[in-house]
Amino acid sequence: MTENIFLITLVVLALIALNTKKLRRAVVYLGIFSLVSSFVYLLYGAPDVAIAEAIIGSTITTVLYLVALRKYQVFSIFYSKSENDHNISYIKNNAPFLNNLEAFLIKCEMEPQIIYSGESIETILDQKKFDLAIHHTDQDIWIYGCAEDYQIDAVENYLHDNHGDLNIHLIRCEEGDDNEA
Amino acid sequence: MTDRSEIISQMTGLLYPFILLFGFYIILNGHASPGGGFQGGAVLASVFITRYLVEPDRCIQLKTLKTAEKILFVCIILYPAFFLFATTANHSELMNLTYLIVMNFLIGLKVCSGFTIIFFRFAFYEGGI
Repeated sequence: MTENIFLITLVVLALIALNTKKLRRAVVYLGIFSLVSSFVYLLYGAPDVAIAEAIIGSTITTVLYLVALRKYQVFSIFYSKSENDHNISYIKNNAPFLNNLEAFLIKCEMEPQIIYSGESIETILDQKKFDLAIHHTDQDIWIYGCAEDYQIDAVENYLHDNHGDLNIHLIRCEEGDDNEA
Repeated sequence: MTDRSEIISQMTGLLYPFILLFGFYIILNGHASPGGGFQGGAVLASVFITRYLVEPDRCIQLKTLKTAEKILFVCIILYPAFFLFATTANHSELMNLTYLIVMNFLIGLKVCSGFTIIFFRFAFYEGGI
């Protein structure tokens, strides 16, 4: 009976780990998965395997995955609109090109992180660490990126091909002190 | 991991002796209770890995660890050969016990250095940063 409960927990944890959007959370769920599976080994009378699984699965592998995630490139995008509209769901629904851009970046093996900001574009350009800063006015879309970032060319080609109808202006600025792009 | 946390560094400093004790217990008691060289070595390696979480500096000497691992590997091969050929045919209970404990100890140290080498190579020398 106890085994069945823990086996069902294993399946549920595996499904959760598969369906999370953030990789960091998936890693944590995998650590819990290993811990529960080591307990199941213990219930089936294999304490040797249980010790090995608990140490390797939930300690060493989790730390290794976390280190690997830190090496993985995170692409941060700041998005601001001209009018002071703080309703985020409204912005999300009205920017389909942003979703397409996100899908494109995922295809390029980056992890896009979009930050919807209520601040003006000047403060973002001055202070924030960004890879792309998007300023959306009524007619035009201004995209600021670092001139030395090699991903910018790919982004420009993609936007030109798929969203040529929008008035997109891409501006390459110099790398500032705070800008880690 | 770049910004260090005072709580984590204090707590891992407190935990080191217990982890070491547990690892050596698993290794040295491996012939009688669950566990053995591999599991205990992995516990010992987790000491080095948690140390990386506290202060990620490069002062750990991978070359020494590599040499130690090679020497331990040669020992693991030589000791059973010595035990088989150099001693008499009918072994006493005490000799078997010593053989098991020494082999577990050697394997534990080798696994510990192997895991540490793999982890630090990955953390410091592979990929970006």
